[in-house]
Amino acid sequence: MYEVLEDFAQTNGLRETNPGLKLFIGLASILLCVSSPGPVAPLLVAATMSAAILALAKIPARFYARLLLVPVSFSVMSIAVVLFITAGGAVLLEVPALPLAVTADGANLALLLLTRVFGGMCSLYFIALTTPMTEIFDILRRLRVPAAFIDLSLLTYRFIFILIEEAGQIYRSQVMRLGYGRFRESVQSFGMLAGVLFIRTWESGEALMLAMDARCYDGRLGIPADSRPVSIPALATALLYLSAVFGVSLSTGGPVLV
Amino acid sequence: MPPTRLQSIGDIMHIMEGFLPSPWWEIWFFVSLPFIVIGLYQLNKLVQEKREALPLLAVAGAFVFVLSSLKLPSFNGSCSHPTGTGLGGVLFGPCIAAVLGLIVLIFQAVFLAHGGITTLGANVFSMGIAGPAVAYFIYKAGTRAGANTYATVFCAAALADLFTYVVTSVQLALAFPGTAGFLGAFSAFAAIFAVTQVPLAIIEGAVIMLVFKYIVQLKPEILTRLNLLSESTVTKLREAAA
Repeated sequence: MYEVLEDFAQTNGLRETNPGLKLFIGLASILLCVSSPGPVAPLLVAATMSAAILALAKIPARFYARLLLVPVSFSVMSIAVVLFITAGGAVLLEVPALPLAVTADGANLALLLLTRVFGGMCSLYFIALTTPMTEIFDILRRLRVPAAFIDLSLLTYRFIFILIEEAGQIYRSQVMRLGYGRFRESVQSFGMLAGVLFIRTWESGEALMLAMDARCYDGRLGIPADSRPVSIPALATALLYLSAVFGVSLSTGGPVLV
Repeated sequence: MPPTRLQSIGDIMHIMEGFLPSPWWEIWFFVSLPFIVIGLYQLNKLVQEKREALPLLAVAGAFVFVLSSLKLPSFNGSCSHPTGTGLGGVLFGPCIAAVLGLIVLIFQAVFLAHGGITTLGANVFSMGIAGPAVAYFIYKAGTRAGANTYATVFCAAALADLFTYVVTSVQLALAFPGTAGFLGAFSAFAAIFAVTQVPLAIIEGAVIMLVFKYIVQLKPEILTRLNLLSESTVTKLREAAA
């Protein structure tokens, strides 16, 4: 799945657009979602971001739909708590035999949160699916984030893919040997997996150190980056879009339910 | 848990993008900032003194990421992930663990939409700072008191996990006190999360303990080099296992 997300980031329809612009659109949309007082603006962001992902970046719709299911499973529990602890306004629904009731205020707040999370997720996926990680590192370097931090992130990023592969192999061989049959065995096997993974990880870290020293590592990693200028029409469209969302957010303040 | 299906599983330790309203997400950024700055300072110093530290920290960060995206076996059929951050806290101390936590959380947000950008500050505080700090201090106190190493590691990892979940509940309750007030909201969030998080903390403690055991048996140099265990303790532990 990680590989797939990153594959799309490398090959999508918006690949040649300036990464700074994409990052700016994504982050600004997130901020607009979080600060919107009503649910209309986040829904608009969710719709436009999804449209951009599907139509401009040409990500397959089925794959994107599967990605969107993740935030749904995330948010249900926390939003349920907010729904029940916020009282005020008309009572919409009462849970029989329990002191729990859904009121208008609670429902409005829960709806607002749900749309904000949804809009934020679509914007995050917009960044994740259109911008390769290496270009984000390059932007961070230009923003003068400390070099040690960027190098550490780069190396971590590189190792995540290696380790996922390795964890998958160990896991599959454990399953073939019935390692996850009972609960006790599952904990044992999982501990073994994590332990072996850690030791192998550490050894590959030491090997990397030798390899880097052999290639004259001097404490700085180079990030290859080709600069693509921001096209003026693209920037103008982005600003127009963001101000439109901002206008919608201002004009549709307040709750809509009831 | 095959890596191809990693994403289909939710977890509640991360606060999702868009969930924390203003001013709370800004506040948690400010709270986390000093720890990150100290961590970066320590990191810079460490990398200049020992160049080999960078790759080792990187693999540790990647390990935490991979561990936290694997599904743990669980009692009640619910799906849970280990946080893995307790181990980072024990190995490198709380401030460097905070930097590792920040990197892992950025990757989780941008790769997997676990957590988010505006909620990064809050998540870094609960998972990258509070949890590892608890693990670190319990481990230090335990070894100083001469307690059983494995029991100490178990407590450090399990309590780090529990504390992370308590901090998350506090963060949510502060942002959404509802009409019940902070305490009422806190108990509501804490009670709902306890269903998955208490068993998870116990399992995570057991798993990290097993990880420690494998390291002691197979490659104890790692632990002695980081000054986590003395040579004599390692010999004693290996003799006891044999």
